[in-house]
Amino acid sequence: MVSRFDQQKTKHQLFHVSLSLATILICMTYMQYRRNWAYLGNFWDSLVVPIVFIGELLKVVLARFYGRIEDGVLTVKQRQKKAAYFTARELAGGFTLQFLCTLLYAFSCIIFGAPVLGNYEETFVLSLLMTLLTVSPTVFLLGGGGALQVCFCEKPDFVTKCEDTALNLFKYNALGGILGAWAGSVVAPLDWGRDWQVYPIPNIIGALLGSAMGNIYACTHVLYATARVYMTKKRA
Amino acid sequence: MEHHKSRMGYTLCMLTLFMCGAVLFLIGFFPASYSASEEEKSIPNDRPTTLHGIKLEPPPPSYDSFILFLVDALREDFPSATSMPVAFARACEKLTLHVDIPTVTMPRLKSITTGTLSNFIDIALNVGHTEQLEDSLLHRLKQRNRVVSFAGDHTWANLFPSEFTRRAENNDSFFVNDFYEGDRNVTKVLESELEMNDWSLLILHYLGLDHIGHVEGNESPKVQHKLKEMDESVQKILDHRNFPNYLVLLTGDHGMADGGGHGGNTPAETLVPLYLYSKNCSKPSSGSKRYNQIDLAPTLAVLLSVEIPSLSIGCLIPEMLQSLSLEHEMYAYFYNAHHLLNKARVKFGHEKVRRSDYYTWYQNATLLHRQLLLPLRDGDGSGTSQVLYQNAKLNYIRLSREISGLLSESLVKFDYGFIVLGLSLTTATSLHIVLSVLFLDITDQLKLDSLKAGQLLVCTAMAAVLNVASHIFDIIFTSSMLYSILIVVPLALSIYITFDVAQALLKIALPPVYTRRLKLSIPLPLPLLVCFAIRTFTLGSSSFIEFEYKTWYYLGNTLILFTALRTLRRRITKANVELDGRHLHKIAYTCLWQQRKIFVVLILLTLMRYLHRFHAIRSTLMLFSLMLLWARLRKFSQLPQSIASGAAFIVVYCYRGLNGQVQFFELPPYLTSRIMVPTLVIFWCCLALVLVLGYRAALPQTRLDKRFDEMPPKNVLLQLLQANLTSSLLLAALLQKVQNIILLPTLLIALDETYKLCDAFGTSARKFSVRLVHVYKIIMTIFVARMFYFYQGNSNSLSTIDLTPGYIGQTSYNPAIVALFVTLNTYSAEIHSFLYLIVHTLRSDLRSVGIMQLQPPYSIAADSLVAPLYASLVMLPAAFYLCLMVGFRYHLFIYSVFSPKVLYDCYTVLVFYFVFLITSLYFKLFKQDA
Repeated sequence: MVSRFDQQKTKHQLFHVSLSLATILICMTYMQYRRNWAYLGNFWDSLVVPIVFIGELLKVVLARFYGRIEDGVLTVKQRQKKAAYFTARELAGGFTLQFLCTLLYAFSCIIFGAPVLGNYEETFVLSLLMTLLTVSPTVFLLGGGGALQVCFCEKPDFVTKCEDTALNLFKYNALGGILGAWAGSVVAPLDWGRDWQVYPIPNIIGALLGSAMGNIYACTHVLYATARVYMTKKRA
Repeated sequence: MEHHKSRMGYTLCMLTLFMCGAVLFLIGFFPASYSASEEEKSIPNDRPTTLHGIKLEPPPPSYDSFILFLVDALREDFPSATSMPVAFARACEKLTLHVDIPTVTMPRLKSITTGTLSNFIDIALNVGHTEQLEDSLLHRLKQRNRVVSFAGDHTWANLFPSEFTRRAENNDSFFVNDFYEGDRNVTKVLESELEMNDWSLLILHYLGLDHIGHVEGNESPKVQHKLKEMDESVQKILDHRNFPNYLVLLTGDHGMADGGGHGGNTPAETLVPLYLYSKNCSKPSSGSKRYNQIDLAPTLAVLLSVEIPSLSIGCLIPEMLQSLSLEHEMYAYFYNAHHLLNKARVKFGHEKVRRSDYYTWYQNATLLHRQLLLPLRDGDGSGTSQVLYQNAKLNYIRLSREISGLLSESLVKFDYGFIVLGLSLTTATSLHIVLSVLFLDITDQLKLDSLKAGQLLVCTAMAAVLNVASHIFDIIFTSSMLYSILIVVPLALSIYITFDVAQALLKIALPPVYTRRLKLSIPLPLPLLVCFAIRTFTLGSSSFIEFEYKTWYYLGNTLILFTALRTLRRRITKANVELDGRHLHKIAYTCLWQQRKIFVVLILLTLMRYLHRFHAIRSTLMLFSLMLLWARLRKFSQLPQSIASGAAFIVVYCYRGLNGQVQFFELPPYLTSRIMVPTLVIFWCCLALVLVLGYRAALPQTRLDKRFDEMPPKNVLLQLLQANLTSSLLLAALLQKVQNIILLPTLLIALDETYKLCDAFGTSARKFSVRLVHVYKIIMTIFVARMFYFYQGNSNSLSTIDLTPGYIGQTSYNPAIVALFVTLNTYSAEIHSFLYLIVHTLRSDLRSVGIMQLQPPYSIAADSLVAPLYASLVMLPAAFYLCLMVGFRYHLFIYSVFSPKVLYDCYTVLVFYFVFLITSLYFKLFKQDA
């Protein structure tokens, strides 16, 4: 029983990671296809945000799919939580949370040196992307209130095992994305005079690459754990 | 286990040693006189008289009178058809000169007159002291008893004290507030000289344009006005009836950067125009050709018919030789090529020269030259072949270019002995202090912070042996016996410190088992470490140095935002544990509201970046910022003191108003100039009053009544330091530019809020650590101070040093006061941050944030932890940068980007050294707790 459950978890993790990597790969392919990167900061002209959005949605669907196995063993609280998922209150809460988060990211961008009003569209796109990479998956999975609690509580009791797995992976994704976008600014002062050194492009690419790195790191973790279990079993 | 003995003395020693090392390094890296060591005697001074057996005649002067019309900071785009109509329209040739760095006046004058490049360290000599030159155009002219007259910049008089026949220099070339007076005098001299007409060279050096640039920037309307005035002067010369045969050279000594300063390496600073005027000029060529400024000296020497100065390594400017006859022109080319070849022989050795390309070119050229001369000598000049002429000329020109380039490169010479000595001293010192701050146990075991006499003796002996050995093997050169003995001191000290460091490192690394490793005595949080490492390692890239302010803004804001968000999260989590997940958004909102101030500070820090755009509202801004500063100062001063400081602020506003920089009553000009000095006197009285009141409040109980000794003794120290901080802030308010005054209160607010944030961060942690809070505060202070340093408009280019505050209330040039004021103004952020950190540490009380455990007391760490750690964090990047400099010594940007930065870095440490010295003196004198 234990080993089988473990197997499900590993499968979920691996699928999840490959979904994220595929999303980023599709983004990169799309960018390669468009050649000129100057459009990346445009809201209506760039497909990166929708692609990432769909990717995150798919991950949530994946978590739901693997979560249906445990449907029978849910506690009362978890059941309540699940039932309240599509209520207006939760939807509004989730939306507000993401909106505030986008505002926070935009604020940070300006603090870090983005032009205050000059490049508002680019700033908006960047903060939208950051929100999508960090907060949105959790909100999609648990709703607004749930996401807040996950963020600020030690261990909320309404989270099912499967959701916990997904949340763990979201964490890597988010950390990688933030670090990548932050580190992307490193090319800004360099005097190479390339057109991709303009403000949002290195940060957007940095965010994507960073989350890819986070996912690869998570993947190695999962594989390492599986391999260790496998080795001990074999030795036994 | 806890150590609280004061380590001010130790830190001061280390700082002193570091400064010694830095000075040694700078001496080695920028050798002050490279030409002295060269054997100049082997270069023949006379002009050559034969060429392959043909006798040559040096040509006579080609013009009767030469006028060098030098406009300080005349950059290439300044003279145009609209700004200088006459000068632009009547120029025979419009050339461009490339100026070498440093783009400041004194080295440029040297280049113009001697034709050699200047050393970077000439900048230091440019302000204040100047050395006399050995040989130049003017020396040669004097030897031939030709009349040379001069008017203008004082620097010329320092460079050539006895070479001018007549001279009329300005009193102060550094008194930048004079826009018109000096130039009017120069024009007067010009008029009288034009009438006299007995000179062969007249030098005019106009300073007004440079001063306007320094004070008001290159966009100032006064610039156009000034150019018009220059144009009129040029017209005066051109239209004068006395001159049948003249050559006028209109040029600038260096350009002007976009902000109005100079000293850097931007094209605006390094390109200057060279306009030539003579009576019968050929049609001007359209394309603007570019030559070097050092080419002026040999060309002028040839035209004036004197010997080329022996130091000259320039080429000839062909456009200036067009008036010469063919024979004389060829002679000029031959002479300069001959001169350069001789210089190359001295520099690189005969053998190497003989095997080089340019030697073959030289032989070709001279043979062609001879063939060209033969028909001329036979009497009929018609048989000269254009092909021969062009070919010989081409060969001469390319060989001169080649040798000139090679010689310019070879002027960079390093003194490796000094470099190694300075580097080992600085690196070892900074490692030493870092180790002793990080590992208190080792410090105790090895007695790192006290002097060991035995070890010192051994080290001195070793140093003496090493010194003798390196003298025998010619590794170190010294000019006199005294110097070679003096070198033993730094040598011994660096061996001593290196020995200590090696011992300590061995101790740390020796037990390889992880569990037995020595523990760090202060916590080093990862984010701080990462930011500090990024700040240190980005010094290796030239663009990161050029845009260093970006790094600081980014990292500083990152640190503050990151800490704020972490604190926020911890607070919410903590509050949430009790409430178990209910009303989470309300808790989040409350905690966010509690921290609102730090976000306001972040917005303020972002706004400060756009400070230069607030020019339009500067009067309001100044009033507001003075009031804000006063309110801030009110916090640590009593009523009489704050009244005095309030009066001082009013006087500051009046002073700016009288200067016309902010809105003020309209006063007649004569009244304004008369009131100006009394206003400043009142300011100084107020400042003295603040200081005296502060000291009086601190000190009386030692004198009057010891029985009512209610104050704890530490407060004396605190109050004295507060009085110092207050008065230095007052002075800074006087010195800062009008729109920069807002930075002072903002700095205080930002530091205050950051410290509160650090306290909150420390207290919200699971395990409270006083040292962690200290480390956070120190690093935040460094970052905030640096951010404000750049907000002020400073950069790593020498052109942004603001010289104006040095002349506030001065009527003449006084180097000591100017240096003091400029330093106080430039480094005001760093000085005040450090003082504020110490004051804050002394007065803060963690009881206010809910920590009752005052064991160890918080404020006691001021001299045992805060000061040493701050010093080590200042020294470590500087030492690292010095190491980098050695690696980059042949880098393309070494003189333009890296060298100014190294001067800035060393100067930063020096300023910190003085601030630290004064602070530690106060600690020594007034700290009375045992």
